[in-house]
Amino acid sequence: MARKTLRLFAALSVASAVLLAAAGPAWAAGETIGGCVIAQVHYAEEEYGSLSAVEADEKAFKSFEEDLEGCVEAPSPILPELDEIIWGGLAFLILFAFMWWKGFPAVKRAMDARSEKIRADLDAADSAKADAMRTKSEYEAQLADAKTAAAAIIDEARGQADQLRQDLQARAEADIAEQRTRAAADIESSRRQAIDDLRTEVAAIAVGAAERVVGASLDADVHRSLIDGYIDDVAGSGSNGDGS
Amino acid sequence: MADQPVSDRIGGYADAVLAVARAEGAQAEVESELARFAEALRSSDELQSTLADSVIDVERRLQITEDLLGGKALPATAALVSLVVGAGRGGELVEIIDAAIDRAAAGRNRRVARVRSAVELTGEQRSRLVEAIKASAGLDVEIQAIVDPSVVGGVVTEIGDDVIDGSVRSRLQQMRSGLG
Repeated sequence: MARKTLRLFAALSVASAVLLAAAGPAWAAGETIGGCVIAQVHYAEEEYGSLSAVEADEKAFKSFEEDLEGCVEAPSPILPELDEIIWGGLAFLILFAFMWWKGFPAVKRAMDARSEKIRADLDAADSAKADAMRTKSEYEAQLADAKTAAAAIIDEARGQADQLRQDLQARAEADIAEQRTRAAADIESSRRQAIDDLRTEVAAIAVGAAERVVGASLDADVHRSLIDGYIDDVAGSGSNGDGS
Repeated sequence: MADQPVSDRIGGYADAVLAVARAEGAQAEVESELARFAEALRSSDELQSTLADSVIDVERRLQITEDLLGGKALPATAALVSLVVGAGRGGELVEIIDAAIDRAAAGRNRRVARVRSAVELTGEQRSRLVEAIKASAGLDVEIQAIVDPSVVGGVVTEIGDDVIDGSVRSRLQQMRSGLG
C-alpha cells in the first residue's frame, strides 16, 4: 500500500514538472497586444465597414472597445491557454507512458532491490543477533561451567589444604611425641649410664683398695698357702678350662 | 716376597731356633734362657715395642739385645734373639720363643704348662703341680714358671688354650664384675 502511494506520488510529481515546463513556453508564444489590436481592427472594419462606422454605432463601439481592452488584458497566471493544455497534456501523457514503461520498472527494481537488500540486511542482522544470542548463551553456559569448575577446584584445594594441615599437624605432633619419647629414653639412658659409670668407678675404687689391702697383706706364708691350695684343687678336679 | 701367614712364619722361626739350639748342644739351657727372656719381654711393654719398632735402626735394637743378654746368657741364646730381631720380627719374638718351647716339649712327648704366680714356685711346688695336672688331665707337662706380680696371689696355669685360673686377681675381677 505504501509502495503504491509512493509510486503514484512520484508519477504525479514528474507529470506536474513536465506540465509547468511546457506551460511557460506556450504562454510566451501567444499573440502580442499590437497583433491583437490589428486583428480587432480588421475584425471591426469587416463587421462594420470602417472604424468610423464603429465609432458611430455606440453599441459597436462599446463592443470594439471591450475587445481592445481584451487585447491589453494580461493572460491568467494559473489557467494556461487551451493549446498549451493540449500540448502539455500530450507531453505529460507521453512522458507518463514513457515513465510507466521505462522509469517505473527501473524505480521498482531499484526499490525492490533496496527492499531486498534491507530485508537481507535485516535477516542478516537477525541471524547475527541470533548468533550473538547463541554465542552469549554458550558463553554464559561456559561461564557457568567455569564458575562451577572454579568452585569445585577451590573446594578441592580447600579440602586438600585442610588435609595437608591436618597431616602436618599430626606429623608435628607425632614428631614431638617421638622427640619427647626419645628425650626421655636419652635421659633414662644417660641416667643409667651415669649410674653404671658411678658403679664401675666405685667398684674400681673398691677393688683397687682391696687389691692394695690384699697385696699388702699377702706375705710369703699366705702365698705358699694359696699356691698349695691351688695345686690341691687342680689335683682334686678335672681339667675343664675353668679352674678356681 | 709375599707375606706368609703369621702362624706359619712363627712356626718357621721356632723350628730354626730349635735347630740352632740342638746344633749348639745346649737345647735345655737355651730353652730356659729364652723362656726367661720371653718373661722379661712380657713384663715390659716398652722393651717389646722398642724391639718391634721398625723406625729404630736395626743396629740399635741389636745393641739392646746384646746389652740385655751379652755375658748373661749363652752366645747361642743371644745369637738367636739377635737373629729374630735383626730379621725385623722383634714384635713376634715372644710368640716365636713360646712356639719353640712348645715344639721342644712336643718333641719330648710333653706339653708346656705356663704357670704364672706372684712369687716364684718352689721345686716341690712345681713337682706337685706336674703331678696334679697329670692326675687331673692325664697330661705330661713341663712347667714354664713365670713370675707375674699382676696375679697378686695364687696361680694361673695355661696349657695350650686351656686356662686354670686360681689367682687372687681373677677373684678381685669377679668382685669388680659383681659390684659393677
